[in-house]
Amino acid sequence: MKPRAVIVGYGETPFSRGRKERGEEQLTLEEYIAWCADLALESAGLTKGDFDGQGLVVNGAQYPHSELWSCEVAQNLGLTVKRLVRVDNGGESAVSSLGRACDLINSGAVDRVLCVSADAPMSVSSHPYPYFGEPYVYGRDYEDPYGMQGPKAVFGFIMRKHMELYGTTLEQTGKIAVVSRSHALLNPNAYFKEPISIRDYLDSPVLSDPIRLLDNVMLVNGGQAFIVTSVESAKKITDNPVSVLGVGECYNYYQGSRSRPDVTSTGISAASREAFQQAGLAPRDIDCFQPYDDFPIAVIMQLEDAGFCKKGAGGKFVEETDLTIGGDLPLSTGGGQLSAGQPGLSGGHVPFIECVRQVRGEGGRRQVRGARIGMAAGIGGLSYIRNLENTGVAILGSRDASG
Amino acid sequence: MEKPLPTVSHLSEPFWGAAREHRFVLQRCDECGAYQWYPKAWCADCGSRKLRWKEVTGRGTVYSYTIINHAKANPAFTGEVPYAIAVVELQEGPRMYGRIKDCPIEEIATGMKVRVVFEDLSEEISLPQFTRDRSVGR
Repeated sequence: MKPRAVIVGYGETPFSRGRKERGEEQLTLEEYIAWCADLALESAGLTKGDFDGQGLVVNGAQYPHSELWSCEVAQNLGLTVKRLVRVDNGGESAVSSLGRACDLINSGAVDRVLCVSADAPMSVSSHPYPYFGEPYVYGRDYEDPYGMQGPKAVFGFIMRKHMELYGTTLEQTGKIAVVSRSHALLNPNAYFKEPISIRDYLDSPVLSDPIRLLDNVMLVNGGQAFIVTSVESAKKITDNPVSVLGVGECYNYYQGSRSRPDVTSTGISAASREAFQQAGLAPRDIDCFQPYDDFPIAVIMQLEDAGFCKKGAGGKFVEETDLTIGGDLPLSTGGGQLSAGQPGLSGGHVPFIECVRQVRGEGGRRQVRGARIGMAAGIGGLSYIRNLENTGVAILGSRDASG
Repeated sequence: MEKPLPTVSHLSEPFWGAAREHRFVLQRCDECGAYQWYPKAWCADCGSRKLRWKEVTGRGTVYSYTIINHAKANPAFTGEVPYAIAVVELQEGPRMYGRIKDCPIEEIATGMKVRVVFEDLSEEISLPQFTRDRSVGR
């Protein structure tokens, strides 16, 4: 079913490494939630009271971890809501938050939904209950005893497979890191402020071969929120609405057999098919693409699976396409997580919020001119010897976009 | 720093019990015949709970691998870098992680034939690892 919902406000806090020795404040998770919610309400011109009896969607946080987090957030914000949803889809949580908000609104249960997400990995030391152990039972039992080293080790073997199967090169993955950094320089909230060259990428320390240091994201503290309403209510709230043209999701996707899936293929294929079908659009209609960029090789896989090019041709596509703000397909226009930083489990909100910002025409120095249709992808949850279990795609339209 | 060991549960005890005797077993589905790794409470292929532990060849092929130079995320392995972790495609179907013991990292390659060996880590845990299978050509 085509979603009929509108994003009427959004907020994103600046990112911080919380390093006290540099005079940076070490805010708590609760402070980031309140801050991003405040920014989103201000952007929509709404108040907390407008959400009484409405919907609240809360993304799980890892640092510190609280298992019954959504009701804790409702209590901290003093919101009495009719529907309370927690999402725990890792890097896909922004898209799944949007999906649940649309479901709640389209079912008629509520008219407005506030979606909040934050994480504070750099403030863990200030909490009595730090990071709550392994995110996965299978990680503890069947990965860690071998000396696996989290996502970069998993992406190490995935990237090698992609290179061996399709001839993908380090120059191609490196281009994504370099372009993202050039965009981060135009984003005042981004963590990294120094340009990098392809030589810097190639020469950066190899951590989990072929994954290099500059393939990796840097953890930061931060929070993001957005507000979704019905089409009718949106007209009363804002003159700069962002239409939800399509939301596609796919969980635990396998390309091929369960025991021997193709590790280079993600559920973004199924999710983008659903989203494009709802929107009545195709990849050529996308004015800017905000992938989930935990590693450049993951961006290449998303470009392939979303249909910007064929499976295996992602490296060549990146090589031949101008991915800059004024280019053929502006990519990760805020610098992405690779250069803006990854706020823990809130990382998936980085590309999503940038997508909202771009179609509202609020990108400042990094605004893509005439951006009418934006696409954000989310991938999250590292499976056992596959890739990402949670995959989602949102296609958003500006007030000038029909849909 | 102590290396992390798997936890043994009602579900996984048959695997670790066999591993203690250096026997390599996998769950096989009585309904559809699929093998699976890691241990699950039903067949992820067909949904049957009729799973049986079956001794298998322990032979396989390297599907992909990564070489770890940086062990900060799992620091018990800091003293071992650089080391390779392979994804091994077992003859019976499933893939599993493993180190390739007694093989210089520069010689590890996709397509290499390997077989299971057990590394005795504690009274309870013998961890399946791999070694080059010299009984077959590459």
